[in-house]
This record gives sequence, structure tokens and C-alpha cells, in this order.
Amino acid sequence: MRNLFAMARRIIRQIVNDKRTLALLIIAPLLILTLVWYIFGAKTSEPNLAIIHYESSDYLSAFKSSDYDRMSPLQARQALADKKIDAYVDLEKPVKVHLEGSDPSRNGLAMNTIQKSMQKIQQMTIKRMKNELTGVIKAQQKGIQAQQQTLRQMSEAMQRYAPGALAAIMQTAPKTEQPKAPQAAEKVALDISYLHGNGDLNTFDAFGPAMVGIFVFLFIFMIGGVSFLRERTTGTLDRLMASPIKNYQIIWGYMLGFGTFVIIQSFVLTCYIIYVLNIYTIGHLLDVLIIVFILSFSALSLSILLSTLASNELQMFQFIPIVIVPQVFLSGLFPIDTLPGWVQAIGKLMPIHYSTEALRDIMIRGIGFSGWWFDGLILILFSIIFIVINVLVIRRARPVTD
Amino acid sequence: MTVSYPVKGEHLHKRYKNQVVLNDVSLTLQEGEIYGLIGPSGAGKTTLVRILLGLEKADSGTVELFEKRPTLNAFRSLGYMAQSDALYNELSAYHNLEFFASIQGMHGKEKKQRIDEVAKAVDLDKDLKKNVSNFSGGMKRRLSLAAALVHSPRLYLLDEPTVGLDPMIRRKLWTLFHYLKGKGATIIVTTHVMDEVAQCDRVGLLSEGKIIAEGAPKELIEHYGVSSVEDIFIVNEKEAAKK
Repeated sequence: MRNLFAMARRIIRQIVNDKRTLALLIIAPLLILTLVWYIFGAKTSEPNLAIIHYESSDYLSAFKSSDYDRMSPLQARQALADKKIDAYVDLEKPVKVHLEGSDPSRNGLAMNTIQKSMQKIQQMTIKRMKNELTGVIKAQQKGIQAQQQTLRQMSEAMQRYAPGALAAIMQTAPKTEQPKAPQAAEKVALDISYLHGNGDLNTFDAFGPAMVGIFVFLFIFMIGGVSFLRERTTGTLDRLMASPIKNYQIIWGYMLGFGTFVIIQSFVLTCYIIYVLNIYTIGHLLDVLIIVFILSFSALSLSILLSTLASNELQMFQFIPIVIVPQVFLSGLFPIDTLPGWVQAIGKLMPIHYSTEALRDIMIRGIGFSGWWFDGLILILFSIIFIVINVLVIRRARPVTD
Repeated sequence: MTVSYPVKGEHLHKRYKNQVVLNDVSLTLQEGEIYGLIGPSGAGKTTLVRILLGLEKADSGTVELFEKRPTLNAFRSLGYMAQSDALYNELSAYHNLEFFASIQGMHGKEKKQRIDEVAKAVDLDKDLKKNVSNFSGGMKRRLSLAAALVHSPRLYLLDEPTVGLDPMIRRKLWTLFHYLKGKGATIIVTTHVMDEVAQCDRVGLLSEGKIIAEGAPKELIEHYGVSSVEDIFIVNEKEAAKK
């Protein structure tokens, strides 16, 4: 045990003495998270739109001048080319939309507004059709009234001259039902309720839990991996191996030493996004910390393992595009349900996938231990597997046994 | 008193891929001697030391430390100084020594006292608080040696301990080696500096994975009829050419 603590103490001292590494661990994630917060948490801007050929159009009233600039076709084309507007609508029938098109999110915004206007046009058309129909119905009703008048006069005449024949006709005549008076159309409105979260949840709230996991994983992976790599390249690992220290004490010393910083880092990070960036969260801070802590163990043990495959720092960083970037994309930050099965299967092999799932359960869905124990267990399993392999790798390089 | 053998390697073979590094090397150290392992670079000196230490596995042959199969416990009595300095640059000299003393099982007052002692022995007692990253090459070398001494082992394996040091410090370190020997320690030193050879009790000449000659420097010079131990390599080469 004493050896283990000596290892951990040494690692803590190394990081504390290396101010840049310390800053990378604690401050860099805060900076990047703030940036992400501004990008994804900002309210979506309004699209810039214009209409042309509006002068003689019936639909003009559907295109409010606060949403649409009035332009001549030439102006509109020029403005679109200069990216001053995202789209313009040609009101000459049939209505056409011209999009700038280079930015999908702007396209979506523009189409959203335009579609709202198109709905208004439809409503206008329907109203006009309704008016026309009521005119037709009224004219028909007048005709029917005139016919009924004639019929009444005819039956009066028959009553007088042939009452028997009239009674027979009346018996065989089909009964006509009076149509019910049309009911006033109900106004359609949706009553929205949320099982989790609320309507104010923005992209950052959904990203936040994944981000915490990604940053903790990334920075621990980098620093832990390089730190262990240096141990091998500078020869200090040889010196350790020529000492009575046991294999598992080396690995667990690392876990313990870095674990201390992970607690600090994840505490600062989580407090920052909850209390400063005001991310939506209803779970317990402690639950979040436990998950982040477990995750960092898998990051550290994986980085130590991969550092044995690297012969210098550059090769260590070459693992980032292979190990970290796919994890970011498959972590659940973006929906993966529609991806091919094998890609989803790869996602299931990645630690960040489970931390994102667990952190979402905790922060957005507010589920406690019952929600995250499984994800936590898998993360622990990852760590145990990596740690065991690490100890075996060291044992192989060190023929001397106890 | 029976003579004990702190290090015994027998019939050691080692090859990396197609290159034979050690070809049937046997080597036995007697307690209380300074054994110099000399030879041109690439002769397999470092590999031999690492195998004796248990840092590398020989393809065949046996190694005994203190007349037993090597165990972790044997490492308590062993001080190893590698060719690289093997220090933690982010830490102060004191914390480096403190760490290596701790993993050797030292603690408390004894540890502190011993750190001061070895720092004085390598002339670094005034620089203990400095970060190793601010040390010169020679200072690092001496601190690295101090880290191998700190737990007062009975056996030292020093891989080129004096390389890159100026003559003054080199002389000082050899005085230290003789002092350690005087206290009963056994030392194996690799070097290719020939003027250090005369300071060894016995030397082994390693060439192309074989020990071509072994013995006290003076006897070797007489036996081969050469003016310095260095020339034995040349004599050996000529003989090989004749064959």
C-alpha cells in the first residue's frame, strides 16, 4: 500500500508542478464549454427573406413586410448572390422559392418561415372557396324554395281535385331528413406535455451531459497517456521495475494519482455548467460526479494501455483521431438510431457512449441510481479489463516474479 | 567466511530478431568487488546488465541474484542506474530521491536522513530544492546515481555512470565507488572509458556478444603482452582474422 501511495503522491506532485498541464486539465474544458454554450445555446436567428412579383398577387397579405423585403427580381437575385438574403419567393403563379442553399441550417430556417406563409395562403384559398360555395348553396336554396312553392300549389290543387291520388303519393314518398345546421369549426390547438425536460430545453442542454464526458475523457486520456509514455521513454519505468514495487501498484498508483485530479476537474466542470452556464439539470450533482469519475478511470486505463503501443508523444496523439473522435460522434451527441447496425455496434464499444447515456438520465431525465447503475457498471467493466491488460503487459516486460 | 556471489549469470543467450546480442555469456561476481564490463558500443553491455537485473528475459540461461532466483524482494538490495537519467523532470531533486526511497520501502526519519546523506555524497546537497528540469547534464547524472544509492543496496548495477561527466566529477564518483566497496558493496560498472578500467578489481571484455577475456586488468595486460586492456580487443580481432 505504501508503494501505491508513493506513486500517487509523486503523480500529484508532478501535475501540480507542471502549471500548464494543470491549466489544461482544469481551465481548458471550461473555456471550450463556454464556447459551445454560446454556439448551441444561443437563440436561433431570423432568416432574411424577400418576395418578388408581389404587385399583382392575391397572396401579398400572407407575406408580412416585417418578414419579407419587397424587391425587384434583379435586386433579389443580386441580394441572394451576395448572401444578404437566404431566400426569395416568386409570387407569380405557381409560387416559386429560390434558396441560397449553402448552409443547411439557414435553409431550414428560411423554409420554416416560408412554409408558415404558405399555410396562410392555403387558409386564404380555403376561405375564398368557402365563400364561393356559400354563394352556390344560397342560389340553390332559392331554387329549392321556388320549387317547394310550386309543389305546395300543386298539392293544394290535387287536394281539391283528386284527394285519393295525393294520399297514395304521400305514403310512397321517401321521408327527407332535415340536414343538421353546420357546427362551427373547432379551433385546433395542441396541448403539449413533456415527459422529461421542458419546452425551453435548447441544444446545449442536450449536448451538455455528453460534453462533460467527452472533455473529461479527452484530457485525462492525453495527460495520462503521455505521462505513462514518458515513464517508459525516460527510463523511470525501468527503475521502477528494478525496485520491489509490484506491477499492480504501478497501475493503481496512476489510477489514484490521476483520480484525485479527476475529482477536482469533474467537480469544477460540473459546477460550472450547472451553476454558471445554467444547464438544465434535475439530477443530483453527486450522481454526475460518480459517473464522471468512473469514466475517467476507463479513459486513464485505456490511455496507459495505448501508450505501450506508442514510442513517442506524437504517436500518442495519433490515437486521438482514432480513439476520441469516433467516440464523440457515436457518443449520442448526434442521433445514431438510423446508422447501419455495425456502426451502432462500434458505438456500443465506446466508454463515452455509456457516460452520455448515464449523464442524460441523471441531468435531463432526473433518474437516480436505478437509471445509471447499468451504464456505470459497464464503464467499470471497461476499466477493469484495461487495468488487467495493463498489469499483464507490465508483467510480460518484467520476467521477475514474486 | 565463505565467498558469496551476488550475481551469477550462466550461459546467457539473447537475440533480437536475426541479430545475436549475447552468445553464451557466463558471468559471476564476487562479493565486495568492482567488476568492469567493457567493450565497444553495441557489444551487448546494456542488454547483459538488463538481463542480470531481470528487466529483460534471456532466451536461455539462468540468472541468480544473491544465490537465488531473482525475486522482487532481491531488488531491495539492488541499486540500478540506467544509461538514461531516468528522473522526473517536473519534480525537485529532493522529491525525486524521496520517491525512489519510498518505493524501496524507506520512510520517516530514516528516509530524510538518507536523502541528505546521498545528496552530500554526489555534491548536490545545495540543489535539492531545485527542479530537475533546471539541472545541467552532469547534475542529472549525479542525481540519477544518488537515486540508485538512496536505499543503501549491497549490489550496484551502474550502466555507464560517468558518461558525459567532466574529469573532476568522474574522479569524485570513483572515490565514492571505492568507498561503497569498502563498506562491502559489490559493483558492476559498464564503461567504454579505458582509464576507468584500471580502477576495477576485475574486468570482463565483451565483444560481439561474447566475453573474450576476463580477469584483473594487470594480469590481462601481462597475459596478452599488450600495453593496455584496450589493445586486447585489437589482438582478439587479429586472431579472428587469422582464422
